[in-house]
Amino acid sequence: MADAVSNLYSDKGIANVEAFLLGSGDWRRTGSGGVSVTIVGIDVNAGALALARVVPSTLRNALKEPDTVVVDEGDSDKLDIKSGETAEISGRKVRVIGLIRGLRGLGGVNIVTSLDTAIALDRTLPSSGGATYYLSRAAPAEAETTILERLNKYSISPSIETWKADDLAAISTNYMLMESGAGIAFVFATLIALFIGALITSQTLLSAVAGNVPQYATLRALGVSFGDIRVIVIEQAAWVGIFGFILSFSVSLIISTFAEIFSIPYDLRLTTILGASVALLLVAIFACVIAIQRLRETDPATLLR
Amino acid sequence: MTLAICAQDISKNYNIQNVHTRALDTISLEISAGEFTLLTGPSGCGKSTLLAVLSGMTKPDRGTVQSGDFVLTAASDQERDAFRLHKCGFIFQGFNLFPGLTAVEQVQIPLDYLKIPEERARQRAERALDSVGLSHRKHLRPAEMSGGEKQRVAIARALVKKPAILFADEPTSALDRENGERVVAILRAIAHRIGSAVLCVSHDLRLFSQADRILEMEDGKLRRDLRRPRT
Repeated sequence: MADAVSNLYSDKGIANVEAFLLGSGDWRRTGSGGVSVTIVGIDVNAGALALARVVPSTLRNALKEPDTVVVDEGDSDKLDIKSGETAEISGRKVRVIGLIRGLRGLGGVNIVTSLDTAIALDRTLPSSGGATYYLSRAAPAEAETTILERLNKYSISPSIETWKADDLAAISTNYMLMESGAGIAFVFATLIALFIGALITSQTLLSAVAGNVPQYATLRALGVSFGDIRVIVIEQAAWVGIFGFILSFSVSLIISTFAEIFSIPYDLRLTTILGASVALLLVAIFACVIAIQRLRETDPATLLR
Repeated sequence: MTLAICAQDISKNYNIQNVHTRALDTISLEISAGEFTLLTGPSGCGKSTLLAVLSGMTKPDRGTVQSGDFVLTAASDQERDAFRLHKCGFIFQGFNLFPGLTAVEQVQIPLDYLKIPEERARQRAERALDSVGLSHRKHLRPAEMSGGEKQRVAIARALVKKPAILFADEPTSALDRENGERVVAILRAIAHRIGSAVLCVSHDLRLFSQADRILEMEDGKLRRDLRRPRT
């Protein structure tokens, strides 16, 4: 392990290396029960990589003071703590010196602190240069992929794996969504929501068409061709689709605003909106085809009976 | 007298839930232009089926239906649609107006599908409404009109394209005496003034005295064909 880390430090493609620690602890406030927390130990020096966007430089600097931590503002109620107050983690007193945004987890609570404080709080964490993960910045002269290939082939031991930041993020997201219990529940809930949405859209269109069958039959009796009727149904489907899209987009925006207010990490991407729109379009087309098929069976002569 | 429609030996059978019904049994008849023809008979005798066959909505199992050179029974669905659009007008028992449209928009519909320019179509629709005494109600929707007014809008919609043949299915059954008589007078006037062949299915006795010709059906057959000399 030590050799592998030395190799990492000495690789010509690596500009810097910093340790990243993930431990656990038992959070307690006076007179209340414990909360299991994840202790996140980061390099707090200026220009360090870990949580660079989440923990601002002033807070990083302040974390150099031993036994200081920061927590996500979305977890402050759960932890019953405000900035400036103290609590205990695994029996050791810590002081919360600030609140951050964007680190609210799916399950547990993250407590961010310096590497030294993390080791002091969780005695099982590796000390003297060890780490759960090492974060490195690639030297600008060489392509990331080339460095990665070399590290995996020669420099690093087989027990250590290296990833690009994006790849690790993707692996992590995939794990949280597809393998963790909360993630699978989320995926299923989304699928159910999608199914119900599809059902509502298709039923709205089908009932709109069914409700107008006598009118379509009248048009047929007046001599309007089936092709022209089909155009009307397609137009009707398009309106249902457009209103459905406007409604669902508005609701999504309202929900994402609530998520923002309650500090829930929420990402409404353009690709997600496009994906949902395509799903909506497919449902509208499908319902449209069924509606047209039903209308094909409409006999204008029924108006004469 | 010019023939509007000529039917030869037409038969139509239905099988509903394994019950075989002979709706039309070898019927031959001719409907003339400029004549108000009344088709009557007991319920279920095949009147509506005959109307559907003569207008090209339904194909008979046997026989031919012809209007001028156009043979409806040999035509495709699209050709029969076009025949109805260009040649036929319809008046239904239940009015069958479009709830979201004003009276003038209802009347304009056939003209829109006949690709008549908007301005001309509107003028013709307004004239048609005027001819049924509804020019002052042209901006009203069906929910704002009485039954008699709705039926007159439906008549205006049928006559706006000056149809060669006008089919009416029980047009007075949902109307009171005054409105019923008014509708009958309009139908008669359409036949005599415009020269359309008006074929009207009805049980309404008020129509009998106004009709130029009365056809009586029973059990899918034509029983009597009475023609009254024009007064």
